[in-house]
Amino acid sequence: MNIFQLPYLKDIYAFLGSDITSGLVGLLIIAAIMPLNVAFLVLVERKVAGHIQLRPGPMEVGPHGILQTLIDAVKLLGKELVTPQATDRAIFFFAPIIVVAPAFVGFVPLPFSPTMQIKDINVGFLLILAFSSISVISILMAGWSSNNKYSLIGAVRSVAQNVAYEIPLLLSTMSVVIMTNTVKMGDIVQAQSSIWFIFLQPVAALIFFVSTIAETNRAPFDLVEAESELVSGFHTEYTGMRFSLFFLAEYTNMVIASAMFTTLFLGGWYGPFLPGMVWFLIKTYFLIFVVMWARWTYPRIRFDQLMNFAWKIMIPVALVNLLLTALVLKVV
Amino acid sequence: MSTPHTPFAQYIADILQGLKSLVVGLWITLKRLFTRIVTVQYPRQKLTMTPQFRGHIEAILFDDTKSHHCVACGLCARLCPSHVIKVQGEKTKAGAFKQGQQYYIDFSKCSLCGLCVDYCPEQTLRFSAEYELVFYDRWDTVIDIMGRLKESR
Repeated sequence: MNIFQLPYLKDIYAFLGSDITSGLVGLLIIAAIMPLNVAFLVLVERKVAGHIQLRPGPMEVGPHGILQTLIDAVKLLGKELVTPQATDRAIFFFAPIIVVAPAFVGFVPLPFSPTMQIKDINVGFLLILAFSSISVISILMAGWSSNNKYSLIGAVRSVAQNVAYEIPLLLSTMSVVIMTNTVKMGDIVQAQSSIWFIFLQPVAALIFFVSTIAETNRAPFDLVEAESELVSGFHTEYTGMRFSLFFLAEYTNMVIASAMFTTLFLGGWYGPFLPGMVWFLIKTYFLIFVVMWARWTYPRIRFDQLMNFAWKIMIPVALVNLLLTALVLKVV
Repeated sequence: MSTPHTPFAQYIADILQGLKSLVVGLWITLKRLFTRIVTVQYPRQKLTMTPQFRGHIEAILFDDTKSHHCVACGLCARLCPSHVIKVQGEKTKAGAFKQGQQYYIDFSKCSLCGLCVDYCPEQTLRFSAEYELVFYDRWDTVIDIMGRLKESR
């Protein structure tokens, strides 16, 4: 008698199909993969930076330095968590914990393939955009509680920058939403089965890409950290694992931003020959490479340039693009 | 390209100009990304010094005698403006030239002027390509030229 034909077996294992189980399993997978992925990305970043500057990057630990970031992680785990005397202790303690939370949540609606998705919720990328704003609060918390002028300047800059760049980000996603009439990630990808939206909405794609670079505080918009002027901005006073949590959040936000770009504009899992998940990862990691490439190409922009760029160029262009899209789709 | 007249045309032209410069910048770094790297992994890889490089002096090993040609004339020692050279020699057989046996220089005071190399009548001196000059003690900077020659043989 075949055990799989037992009538009650489906009831016993029904919990596997429930939302809570898939959510738990998904979050566990994220929790396992996220730090390793960040270690990998830090290594890739250092290698890209090195080769752009005609040097090899880390070479000592392991063949071609591939174990360097793992060793760094071990070192950071062993470091003492120093809390400076004049800090606001509670806020100082919670800031690095809160900065990681949106990075976890951001993975929930990402459609790696038609089935590899924790949950295709109705609010879709609105969830990611809403939660990624929380990281701004934690950066402000970190900068404020550090009681350090450089940290505070970095945090204040971060708030101004993120508020400014969230508007073109949302406006450029709206151009896509007008075309698909949905914010569900899976549906947006399926709408691109014939043609990717980057060919229909190149301006929106460019604005979205630039805005996500600014939102994740990457160069040339890294005024928040700005090593050469603010020591290292809001996380100057953080040591050990607390510091690395900020690092973890930065790189994970980069992954989420690139995955969002892939979903919205690059056709998600669609691609020839290879399975969907592989295509999704190829596109995502290529975008991450482009972000790194841009970091090691452009100098950091000045604060007034940053604000002028957001309010005088990005937002008007995004608005005009949205207007044109709406006119073409709904009126014509 | 003619300069735009209206502020709006200028605005659009600025955006397009900026986009173009961004692409040019990315193209330059992309080319650099695939250029051969120039770093030398120092303790494992070493650069060969140029012929003009001036380390401390060393004796040349000649093929005909399988040794140096120093006759311990002492010209280098007398010529040296920093007085860092000590040379001693002895005759090993009757009727022959003297042969340099001991040759020390105090490299910490050497000014690398090169007079000893230029004036050596036997032309048995040259600058070495030695650049790893780290010493724990002042006496370590006294270099035994003949000893180095024996080691290199």
